Amino acid sequence: MFNTAMTASDLMFLLKGAGMTLAVTGVSVAAGTVMGVIFGVIRVQVGPWWAAPLTFILDIFRSVPLLIQLVLGNAFQSIAKLGWGPFATSCVILSLYTAAYCTEIVRGAIDAVPPTTRRAGRSLGMTWGQDMRHIVAPLATRIALPSWIGLTLGVMKDSSLVLWLGLIELLRASQILVTRLQEPLFVLTVCGLIYFLLSFPVARLGGYLEKRWSND
Amino acid sequence: MFNYTFHWHQALRALPQMLDGALVTLQIALLSMAIGLACAITLTLMRLSGNRLLGGLAQSWVEIARNTPALFQIYMAHFGLGSFGIHLSPYTALLAGIAFNNAGYLAENFRGALKAIPDTQTRAGRSLGMSSLQAFRLIVLPQMLRVAFLPMTNQMVWAILMTSLGVTVGMNTDLAGVTQELNARSFRTFEFFAIAAVIYYLIAKAVTLAARLIAWRMFRY
Amino acid sequence: MKTSILALAAMATALTGPAFADKLDDIISSGTLRCAVVLDFPPMGSRDANNTPVGFDVDYCNDLAAALGVTAEIVETPFPERIPALMSGRVDVGVASTSDTLERAKTVGMSIPYFAFEMAVTSNDKAGIKSFDDMKGKTVGATAGTFEAIALEKQVKEWGAGEFRPYQTQADVFLALSQGQIDATVSTSTVAQANVKTGNFPGITVVGKAPFDTDYVALFTNREEYGLLNYLNLFVNQQVRTGRYAELYEKWVGGDLPDLTAAGVYR
Repeated sequence: MFNTAMTASDLMFLLKGAGMTLAVTGVSVAAGTVMGVIFGVIRVQVGPWWAAPLTFILDIFRSVPLLIQLVLGNAFQSIAKLGWGPFATSCVILSLYTAAYCTEIVRGAIDAVPPTTRRAGRSLGMTWGQDMRHIVAPLATRIALPSWIGLTLGVMKDSSLVLWLGLIELLRASQILVTRLQEPLFVLTVCGLIYFLLSFPVARLGGYLEKRWSND
Repeated sequence: MFNYTFHWHQALRALPQMLDGALVTLQIALLSMAIGLACAITLTLMRLSGNRLLGGLAQSWVEIARNTPALFQIYMAHFGLGSFGIHLSPYTALLAGIAFNNAGYLAENFRGALKAIPDTQTRAGRSLGMSSLQAFRLIVLPQMLRVAFLPMTNQMVWAILMTSLGVTVGMNTDLAGVTQELNARSFRTFEFFAIAAVIYYLIAKAVTLAARLIAWRMFRY
Repeated sequence: MKTSILALAAMATALTGPAFADKLDDIISSGTLRCAVVLDFPPMGSRDANNTPVGFDVDYCNDLAAALGVTAEIVETPFPERIPALMSGRVDVGVASTSDTLERAKTVGMSIPYFAFEMAVTSNDKAGIKSFDDMKGKTVGATAGTFEAIALEKQVKEWGAGEFRPYQTQADVFLALSQGQIDATVSTSTVAQANVKTGNFPGITVVGKAPFDTDYVALFTNREEYGLLNYLNLFVNQQVRTGRYAELYEKWVGGDLPDLTAAGVYR
């Protein structure tokens, strides 16, 4: 149907790039979520004044372009002679980026749990830890999940920027193919299609969950 | 501690150049927001029209804009369209890519905002003799913009951050482009990009502050 | 008695001092040589149909690794990323057709030249450019940070007319050229001819030489690694001496072998 020079092995090359995208996304979201939960709980517990330094630092990750963050992180690790490869550097920066957004999501979710419910639990003799685990966690997770899915998809799309550090992820793989085959429109369309297929079902799932769990 | 001599003096000497780049960045972000806003309102109208074709087109725009990376959209705008013979300069391609992205996200924000406006108001307006377009423009639109103002501010900050992607399509007059050029000559990556990061942070904060002031002023009862 | 033995032992350890392993030792002991190679720059570096790296620079890197007794690892770096990749520790040496400019020598250590390029002007047929001076007032582009890009940008500023666009990879430059987004570019004659020959870029032709000096390119590594730099210098010399340079040149480029010396000056 299409008169193209792209072969099956080229498609495998693209899919390997997609695999790299998913790997970077997976590691960063996992680490970032853990950090985000910890920071979010700290922010809620400690209050706005004492948490101000933490808020300030996390705010930097949301106000500076990710491209600049990646380049800066890479330059820093080379000056400090840390010897990290591009994958490690990308994962560290993306994790911090994810954590910055996740903190806000977690904070909003914990704040949305009715304080009366929490106080009722405490007055029944629960410790703070039990309150967090049995009351806040289930409710807050439900509230936070759609936003968290949105964040995960956002990180997956932003992971295309790690090509700047030399990682061969999906967009870079398609650029390589474009160089060899000189069919920019076709290769880029396939690339966009793969991104779309990776993102769309999960986005739909998030929307469905949001609708089901909302109190409309 | 570090076995590296920082050359801050060299980097600070380039500050005027970088500030010129920052102005271009701001310009692109504002323009792309304006275009994106206009497109988003059009897309919202298309979705509300009830026409299946228009609604489908609007939905596809929104889905593509939200499910593919911004870098991909900008790259497509320059090189993808280029293979059709449509030549967008790096500036235009960056602007088009960011505006496309903005329109998609803003349209989705508007869809959420519209849910907060009961359609009884539209019906009341129509029964007073307004056309549906007039009803939308005079009744629904102002309320929608007010509800969606916070997400719009976030999108504006995102637009500023997205302008940094212009370096991949040959943009060398915005802040990231200027910084990358200076970096490619001197290899003082850390110094130049650290200063660029500070400038981006200040711009983002300034825009957020300005938005808060505008909201406070405009949305007073 | 005990204190004097202790003092003797302390002195002995102090005299041995820290073991000093330089980069040459590190490469040999690690068993891998990581080379920065540009893979959108035929015939020096490109990818074949299986997307594996091939080219003059790739073979050169393999030769260097063989001489050191280690395995070569080709790390792809686009042009502006070659030196940053070395500075951030991603690669050990650069076999990336890097012009030995004085500006770069402030940051990295460069070996003696291992290849020499002539600069050519390639233009889009529709732009009607027949020589270097015809580029005045047109939109031109080149790969950011390269020798010819810096020279071209300076030339455009001197002319006072026209526009210069830096792209982040050589591939993007030729893509933009064939799409007509830029009217002409200055690049090495080798990459221009290689790209025109593939037939993948319809509508572009090499129109003539650019009046820039001969572009000598060198291997590069960290500025303070004298052991490795001396080794690289000897390696380049031996490649020419043993005829390997001529052999690789014939395989990848063909034609007259460029002279790697600058007349009248030593080294």
